[in-house]
Amino acid sequence: MKKTLTVNLGGTVFNIDDDAYRLLDNYLCNLKTHFRKETGADEIVDDMERRISELFSEKLSGGAQVITIADVEEVIKRMGKPEELDTESEESASEAFDKSATSGTNSGAGNEDTTSKDNKTGMGSGAYSHRRLYRNPDDKMLGGVCSGLAAYLDWDVTLLRILFLVILICGWGTLIPIYIVCWLVVPEARTAAEKLNMRGEAVTLENIGKTVTDGFEKAANSVNDFMKSDKPRTFLQKVGDAFVMIAGFILKVCLVIFAIVCSPILFVLGIVFIALLFAAVAVAVGGGAALISLFPLHDVIMPVSPLSSIVMYIAGILLVGIPLVSIVFVIFRQLFTWQPMSSGLRWTLLILWIVSVATFSICFAMQGFTFPELLIRG
Amino acid sequence: MIMMNVDNVKSQMRKGMLEYCIMLLLHKEPAYASDIIQKLKEACLIVVEGTLYPLLTRLKNDDLLSYEWIESTQGPPRKYYKLTEKGEDFLGELENSWRELNETVNHIANS
Repeated sequence: MKKTLTVNLGGTVFNIDDDAYRLLDNYLCNLKTHFRKETGADEIVDDMERRISELFSEKLSGGAQVITIADVEEVIKRMGKPEELDTESEESASEAFDKSATSGTNSGAGNEDTTSKDNKTGMGSGAYSHRRLYRNPDDKMLGGVCSGLAAYLDWDVTLLRILFLVILICGWGTLIPIYIVCWLVVPEARTAAEKLNMRGEAVTLENIGKTVTDGFEKAANSVNDFMKSDKPRTFLQKVGDAFVMIAGFILKVCLVIFAIVCSPILFVLGIVFIALLFAAVAVAVGGGAALISLFPLHDVIMPVSPLSSIVMYIAGILLVGIPLVSIVFVIFRQLFTWQPMSSGLRWTLLILWIVSVATFSICFAMQGFTFPELLIRG
Repeated sequence: MIMMNVDNVKSQMRKGMLEYCIMLLLHKEPAYASDIIQKLKEACLIVVEGTLYPLLTRLKNDDLLSYEWIESTQGPPRKYYKLTEKGEDFLGELENSWRELNETVNHIANS
């Protein structure tokens, strides 16, 4: 005998077995995670939910009253597991068909979120196929950093943890901030594909099928996943969990305080930014005369040519503006969980910033012959 | 290195044709997602139904398709898809491309 629940799936009400519900819920969460980078992700999953609801209605039209786990499994097979659904941002389906995990090159890693650590594939050892560093959510004491690292290196977790503590005790306390940085930067392995990548196993349909139906795929957020993980947590681990929750909360609070503290600095930088903006506009519009009237201090700097000073001011704006915008963006992202910046945009901004540094320096150097005057007057 | 596998290549070919075929079906007449799925399955173009939905959403976001909600006595409302004008133009281009490809392949095979 099983407990049943009543669910609203895509607009229709169903009675569904408890275990069937959990499998279906898992599946839908996996879909959401899988599509998180697509625009219209919600719509896609909603459409799929409606389709599943249609299929369930058909099943029940024969007189059955409840959706069972067999029904859900059948529907999942029909709709397709997340890794079988090809999307543009996904690593190519050829990976799913790659039965021989001997690939030394990395086809799709570049377009993943670049916050994960550098990929060590191809460096020396042929056994490291598609290996990526993740944090392991299924076996974590604190953040899953050691566990993920152990999976990456193929070492025993406990050994690695002991090693970690030994180094720490021997006086190299820098290990703690390093651990925290890893905890923040290294992403958690959520989907089955990511977990397989963490261990360097081939991402094949069989492997994925195993991890999905074994319930290893992790729903996107919810601290309740501590309940879902297979091994019961020992007392020590429960203490660890509580610690992590508190630490996470404290971290968020610190971040908010940091943002508040930084905001006067950001404010000042903002003013500088706007000032440079005005300067650039003034130079562009009114030439050197407008510039001199705006900045009496700078009347010693005679531009070599109006063009170079325009260039210099634009470079100056980018020089200050890009880091400013980036900092604001990062802080807001932490506070409001925005989408991370696409890596293309990130690289573009970085290159633009480097170019502006170079340009600014060159232009400034070109006017360098007036510097002695500035020093004398100042 | 990915092993050359006839199933691989076939699957790639089918994937390339999916959007074209979806638009062809909708060009003939507007349809529900479930109708499209059925026809695509008959043609062995898709194996799992889920492949369709991200494609439909993408095509809709690119303004090549539009849908309206049709009420039904048997359940919740359903999306009824049709091609937009932009979609029709797009389809025309695809058809040209298909014809050229067809001729090229035949030419190579027969020469």
